[in-house]
Amino acid sequence: MSGPWRAFSAQEEERKRTVSDKVLIRRLYNYVKPFKKNLIIAIIAIILSSLTGLMAPYMHKIAIDQIIQTGELINFLWWIPLFAIVVLCNFLFQHIQIFQMRIIGENVVSAIRDEIMEKLQFISLRYFSESEIGRIISRPINDANNLRIFLRMGFTSILVDTSSILGAFIIMFMLDLELALIALSFVPLAIIIVWILGKYSRRAYRKTLSTLAGLTARMQEDISGIKIIQSFVQEERAKKRFDETQEENVKANKNALLVSSLYQPVVIMVRIIGTIIILWHGSVFVANGAITVGTLVAFIEYQFAYFMPLIDLVNVSDQYNSAMAAVERLFDLIDAKIEVVDPPPEIAVELK
Amino acid sequence: MSVEKPLLEYIYSLKPKKSFSESVIAFKRLIKYHKRYIPIIILTITLSLVRTYLFVLEPLYTSQIIDEVLIGGKQDRLLEYLMLILLTGAGFAAVNFFVNYLNGLLALFIIRDIRSDYYASLQSKSFSFYDSMPVGDLVSRATTDLQAVDAFLRTWISILCNAVFSVIVFFSIMYSVSPSMTLISILPMPLIFYFTTRLWVDTMPLFRIMQLILGRLSSYIQQNIVGMKTVRIFRREKDMVEGFKKAEQKFVETAIMAGRIQSIYMPLPTAILTLSIAMVYVYATVSIFNFGAAITVGSIILFARYMMRLSFPLRDLSMLLGNWINAYAGLERIFEVIDTPVSVEDAPDAEEIIIREGSVEFQNVTFQYANGRPVLKNLSFKVNPGEKIAILGATGSGKSTLINLIPRFYDATSGRILIDGIDIRKFKLSCLRRQIGIVPQDVFLFSGTIRDNIAFGKPDASMEEVVKAAELAKIRDFIESLPDGYDTFVGERGVTLSGGQRQRITIARAILTDPKILIMDDSLSFVDAKTEHEIQTAIEEAMRGRTTFIIAQRLSTIRNADRIMVLEDGEIVEFGTHEELMARSGIYRKIYETQFLSKSETPLAEVDSE
Repeated sequence: MSGPWRAFSAQEEERKRTVSDKVLIRRLYNYVKPFKKNLIIAIIAIILSSLTGLMAPYMHKIAIDQIIQTGELINFLWWIPLFAIVVLCNFLFQHIQIFQMRIIGENVVSAIRDEIMEKLQFISLRYFSESEIGRIISRPINDANNLRIFLRMGFTSILVDTSSILGAFIIMFMLDLELALIALSFVPLAIIIVWILGKYSRRAYRKTLSTLAGLTARMQEDISGIKIIQSFVQEERAKKRFDETQEENVKANKNALLVSSLYQPVVIMVRIIGTIIILWHGSVFVANGAITVGTLVAFIEYQFAYFMPLIDLVNVSDQYNSAMAAVERLFDLIDAKIEVVDPPPEIAVELK
Repeated sequence: MSVEKPLLEYIYSLKPKKSFSESVIAFKRLIKYHKRYIPIIILTITLSLVRTYLFVLEPLYTSQIIDEVLIGGKQDRLLEYLMLILLTGAGFAAVNFFVNYLNGLLALFIIRDIRSDYYASLQSKSFSFYDSMPVGDLVSRATTDLQAVDAFLRTWISILCNAVFSVIVFFSIMYSVSPSMTLISILPMPLIFYFTTRLWVDTMPLFRIMQLILGRLSSYIQQNIVGMKTVRIFRREKDMVEGFKKAEQKFVETAIMAGRIQSIYMPLPTAILTLSIAMVYVYATVSIFNFGAAITVGSIILFARYMMRLSFPLRDLSMLLGNWINAYAGLERIFEVIDTPVSVEDAPDAEEIIIREGSVEFQNVTFQYANGRPVLKNLSFKVNPGEKIAILGATGSGKSTLINLIPRFYDATSGRILIDGIDIRKFKLSCLRRQIGIVPQDVFLFSGTIRDNIAFGKPDASMEEVVKAAELAKIRDFIESLPDGYDTFVGERGVTLSGGQRQRITIARAILTDPKILIMDDSLSFVDAKTEHEIQTAIEEAMRGRTTFIIAQRLSTIRNADRIMVLEDGEIVEFGTHEELMARSGIYRKIYETQFLSKSETPLAEVDSE
């Protein structure tokens, strides 16, 4: 049943927004307030988990440069416990962060949804057409779900990714300024490529959603009218028409598939080029004695550490936009003036 | 009436279900759908193998750069290795594209085939099936449930190949470098696989439950809004909201439960992997310096990177298992419908028979539903060709069932129905139904033009036939007053027609095929006087020259019928002309007088059903 409604919200997403993000976020924060404690814990955990996560490659560098290459095995005595602590802390902080964010996200969304449900009881709907009713229904369900997904994944990724990226950059700059600058030089290009491709793949995806909505509508109608189809012995014609609708759906999906299959390979290529840049310049630096082998290996690992979060972040921006659009519509409904208030049932009269 | 009870009962009945052994049959059946696409599958598997091979090379070249160029000082080989990395990387990306595309294509085709089978099976299901299945549920099987199957199909071959090939290739390379280090590197893999499997297998059913709750909440809100009037009259607003909140609570609890599982099993494999890499470091260093093992720095880093790379296909495999659990749940619901037996079918000796007269005879007809409640009890009567029978009775008296037996929408449990003296089971179903015109209670129109709807039973009808049917149904003037005339679009996105207009279109639709027998379920009760009159005229025109059964609401219709049948609890209590029934002081006379005295046109049959 969610098919056609999802199409509604896809259409609405195209609509211009009127309220600024700042206002919406401030208002959204009112719902987060009861969970302030959880939020503080979560943010601290996010920062600490990124930091401990970033320490692992650095610990590898120490092992390669100071132990494996020199043979001073005695250093393992402090290296092993330290490494174990870093890894365990990282696990613990991630655990806290995921769990706390989940508690906040689910409760906030459910509070908004409940408020809308109560509101719906008092809005007079007899002046709305059927399609408008469909759109109104989509709000507490689809829009709230958009927001939920954003709070669950998007918001957390923004925090986690930003701190991982920044942390990786800082450590890389500390390891070697020049190589860090070279390694980061290709980042803007990578962002542009991924962003453009992401835009195309989202557009293609939206198109599949709308053809799916068409397919769902066809199915809904044919099943609702199945007794009439059978009464008039039109089963074969209906099947033929359904198959045509399906073929349209397949066609739209084929195009979307082409675009979405391109996404991963392009990201891989961009990353490999980044690795090659680091190896090319890094080897020269190692030969010059400017950096150690361990530093070069650490750079390659840090490239992994910031590259995937970077890609994530580019994609989250879209999630953020649709979540904000959803929030705006949700608040719209909460703020809707009750134009016609039904009299209390005791004195209400039903006219036939 | 309790508005929130069904919702809550449903939601509390949702339990995570995960049994791989039970899913084998569904899996075998899904595999059958792959048969048509064997070439695509073979190509996918071959390319997957190439992909794994290319995936292995990049870390290998990196480690050679470290050993030969950085430590060995052979600067001239750097460019060569970098070119190799670029080429294998490009190859990997290209192959990756084709694998993703082919796998997606396969999923697209198979989903289409399953949906097509599902739709075809729905076409032949009998009315009793639809009585017990809500439309929304049937639609969601073909959409939401199939989406879960799609998620599985989209990746399953490539993930499975990748996991198997990766394990083989990575281990053979690692083994050739250092057998003892390989052993240490293997150790964490089963653990990683176990924990990620726990992650997906435990959370996927929860996600599904969440999705199901959301779906149910949608229809709950819809009912709430559409039924707002009823809800308000009975002051059930509080209960509605309470029900919603309870369902919502269950949703939040499930989501947080999933969050708890994720918060443990999501970071755990990474922690295990990182610790094991440290173990490899320690082991390698100790063996080099204490036992003089021939392990290079490059190969240690190679091992670390291979361990990391190997963990990805294993994690994908775990996710695939989670996807399968949901896909299986979806498949089960689809196959359940496909496998529901058809209860009304052509008899082996069924023939094409033309109805010449149009007499209808019931001989000791009894009908009961599967649960045993008899709806019609031993009915016998005979209707002459061209006779108009008005059927009267309260809701549940069996009047709808009676008319549904004639075109065999249901089969009588016992007894026979004869048309022109021939048992209706001797007719081919399509042949029987084509010769019976039906105006259903539900004034349902398909989205399309008015012409499409009127000519629904005979798509190749000429324009003259359509106009003639519209004329007879007293809707012609209205249609021709529309700007687009017969090409006016009706249905969800078209013009909105009143109930009376819709009903006349359904009458036109039924008479266009010129049936010998006409069945009308005239339930449209609340219309204004002018429409009332027009519908009455349309009905009379439609009935002319046909044997007609009409479930009548209007006094005028009933009085104009040749005979009136009064049903009560599945039995005929009175059957005769208006005059005959008025002469007996039975139910009919009582109802008629009540109505007549109140001078209202309140429909008779609905008197005790409101």
